[in-house]
Amino acid sequence: MLIKKSIFAATALAAALAAAAAPAAAPLPPVIKIGVVETLTGDNSAYGISIRKGIELAAQEIVASKLLGSSQLSLVVADDKADKQEGISVYDKLINEDKVSAIIGPTLSSTAFAADPIAQSAGVPVLGTSTTAVGITAMGDYIFRDSLPQAAVIPGTLAAVAAKYKPQKAAILFESDQEYSKSEAEVFKTALAAQSIQLVGTESYNKGDSDFRTQLQKLSARKPDIYIFCSLVGEAIPVLQQAREIGITQPIVGGNGFNSPNILANAKEAAEGLVVGSSWFIDSPVSASKAFVAAFKAKYGSAPDQFASQGYAGLYILATAIKNSLSADRAAIRDALAKIKGLDTTLGTFSFDANRDPVCQSVPLVVKDGKYALFQ
Amino acid sequence: MDLSLLADPGFLLQNLVDGLSRGALYGVYAMGFTLIFGVLDILNLAHAATFMWCAFAGWLVMARSGLSLPFGLAAAMLSGGAIAVALEFLAFRPLRREGPAGGAAADKLSPMISSIGASIIMVSVAEACFGVETRRFPDTVLDPKPFIIKAAWGLRISRAQILILAASVILMALLGLFIRRTRAGTAIRAVAASRKASLLLGIDVNSIIVLTFLVGGALAGAAGILVALLTNNIVPGMGSQIELRGLAVVILGGMGNVEGAVLGGFLLGLVETFTIAYLPGGSDLKDAIAFLILFLMLLAKPDGLMGRGKAERA
Repeated sequence: MLIKKSIFAATALAAALAAAAAPAAAPLPPVIKIGVVETLTGDNSAYGISIRKGIELAAQEIVASKLLGSSQLSLVVADDKADKQEGISVYDKLINEDKVSAIIGPTLSSTAFAADPIAQSAGVPVLGTSTTAVGITAMGDYIFRDSLPQAAVIPGTLAAVAAKYKPQKAAILFESDQEYSKSEAEVFKTALAAQSIQLVGTESYNKGDSDFRTQLQKLSARKPDIYIFCSLVGEAIPVLQQAREIGITQPIVGGNGFNSPNILANAKEAAEGLVVGSSWFIDSPVSASKAFVAAFKAKYGSAPDQFASQGYAGLYILATAIKNSLSADRAAIRDALAKIKGLDTTLGTFSFDANRDPVCQSVPLVVKDGKYALFQ
Repeated sequence: MDLSLLADPGFLLQNLVDGLSRGALYGVYAMGFTLIFGVLDILNLAHAATFMWCAFAGWLVMARSGLSLPFGLAAAMLSGGAIAVALEFLAFRPLRREGPAGGAAADKLSPMISSIGASIIMVSVAEACFGVETRRFPDTVLDPKPFIIKAAWGLRISRAQILILAASVILMALLGLFIRRTRAGTAIRAVAASRKASLLLGIDVNSIIVLTFLVGGALAGAAGILVALLTNNIVPGMGSQIELRGLAVVILGGMGNVEGAVLGGFLLGLVETFTIAYLPGGSDLKDAIAFLILFLMLLAKPDGLMGRGKAERA
C-alpha cells in the first residue's frame, strides 16, 4: 500500500512537472465519484440502458488501465425515468448528498432543460451524451455534451438525402410536447429551406398518443417526396408501422431518436430504408471504435449502438479532463473539459468548441436488412 | 384550413372510417362504464385500469402463449369480468351500507375514492409485473396489412378496424337484448331505477350488482384488447388515454345510458379525427375541441344526448 502510494505520488509529481505551467496539485483522491443520470425504465430506457452499458465498460477499462493512477471511479447511477421532476430530485441528491465531481447525462433533452440549471448553479460539470436539442449547452458554462447537436447533423443528412432522391416536397411529423422533437422539427425546417425543398405539411401528436394514422393520412394527401419523423422510441415504432400501413412508400428520414436498434428490431420491415444522421456507426473505421465494439460485444454479448458509443466516449472525455486537471475538484474538471482538443475517441478525433458542443464527424446512415449501414 | 383536403372525397371517407372505428372503441369502453354507473350511481374509476389489465391478459394469451385471436378476446373479456367482480367485493361492497333511502348521498363519494385507490394499485402492480416498456403483438396475431378498396378512392381499412366495428355493433346489440329482453336484464334495470324498491320486490340486489360488474368488466376487457390491436401499443399507463374520454362519452350520452354511450363514443371519435384531419394544428386541439363540445352539451342538455331521466336509465 505504501509502495503504491509513493509510486502514485511520483507519477503525480512527474505529471505535474510535465505540465510545467500547472501549479503543483494534490494527488487525485482514492475514489472519484461520477453521477450517471439516465432513463433506465420506460420506453426511453432503450437509450439510457445502452448509454449506461457504454459508460460502465469505459469505467472498467479506465480503472484497469490506470488512466487515473490508482484512483477508483465510482459511478453513482440514477434513473431519471424520463421525467423532469425525477431528474431534478436525482440531480439534487447526486450534488448535495453523494457530492459527485461531475454528472454524465441525462438521457433526454427535456430532462436536461429541467435539471441542468441545478448543476450549473451548484458549479458541477455536466456532460450530456445523448442530448441533441438546440440550447442545451447555452444553459451555462458547466454544461457540455459529446452528442452532436441537431444543427450539426441534420443539414448533412438532408443534403445526402437530397442528392440521392432529389425530393421537391417534404412533410414533417413530430411530438409537440417534447423539447427534443420540437427543436428537431425546427432544425429540419431550416435545413429543408437550405436545400430548397418545399415543406408541404407539418403535423404533430402528443405524448402517449398511439394512433397516428389521421396525421399521416393528412400528410400523405399533400403527396410529399420524403417524410421526416421526429419521435422517441416508444412512438417511433408505431409511427413507422402505421406510415407503411397507410401506404407511405417514400423515403423516411428520422431524427436522432431513430438511432436505436430497438426500433429496427420492433418495426422490422417498416424501418427498411429509414435514413438517420449519426455521430457513429457500427462499422466505423476509427480504431478506438473498433476496439470499443469488440470489448462491448465481449462484455455484453450484443452489439453497441450510437448511444453506447457516445456514453463510452463521454466517460473517457471526462476521465481525461480529470487526469489533466489532476483533481476531482468540480471547477478544475470544468476548466479541463473546456480545453479538450483532438482527443481520440470512438467518435473519431474529438474536441469541444467554444460553446462546449462537440466537434466530431456526422455520418448519414440507412437501415438495410435490419441494420444501420452507411447511406450512399 | 387546407381547402384541397376538403374537396378530396377519398380523404373524407378515410377519416369517416377511421373516426368511426376510433369512436367504436370509445363506445365499447363507455358502455361498461355507464352500465355500472346506471346501476350503482357511482363512477367506477378503476374501469380504465381494468381495461389495461385486460389488454395485458390478451397479450399474454396471444403473444406469449401463441394462441389465436378468439382466445385472446375471450381471455380479455373473462379477465375483465373477473377483475370487475373482484373490485365489487373488495372496493365497493364493503363501503355500501343500505340506508333507509337506499344509500345516502355521502355514500357515493367513498366508493369513488376507493375505486381511485384500486386503480392506482392495479396500475402499480402492472408496472411491477410487466415493466413500463411498450408491449406489442407479433404480426401473426392480426395481419397489419390493410385492405385497399380501389372502388372507394383507395379506401384503406385494416383487419383491426373491421374487427372493432363488427365487435362494437355485436356487443351493443347483445347488451341491448340482454338488458331489454332477459329477466336478469330487467332486474338490472329495476335495481338501476330503485335499489330500495327492488329489495322490497324480493330481487337479490347484491347478485344483480355482481352481474352488472361482470358485464361491465367484460366490456372493458373487449375495449382493452381492441384498442391494443388497433394501436399495437400495450403499456400499464394506457388506461389514462381513454379514462377521461370515456367519462366525456358517458356524459355526452347521458349518465347511465347505454345507447347514449355508444352514440357519444362515435361522436367523440369522429370529432377527434376530423379535428386532426381538417384543422391546422388539429393534433394539439383535438382534446380542447372534444371537451368544448362536452361543455356546451352540459350547458344545453345536462342529461346528455339520450338523457331521459333516471327512471329509464340503463
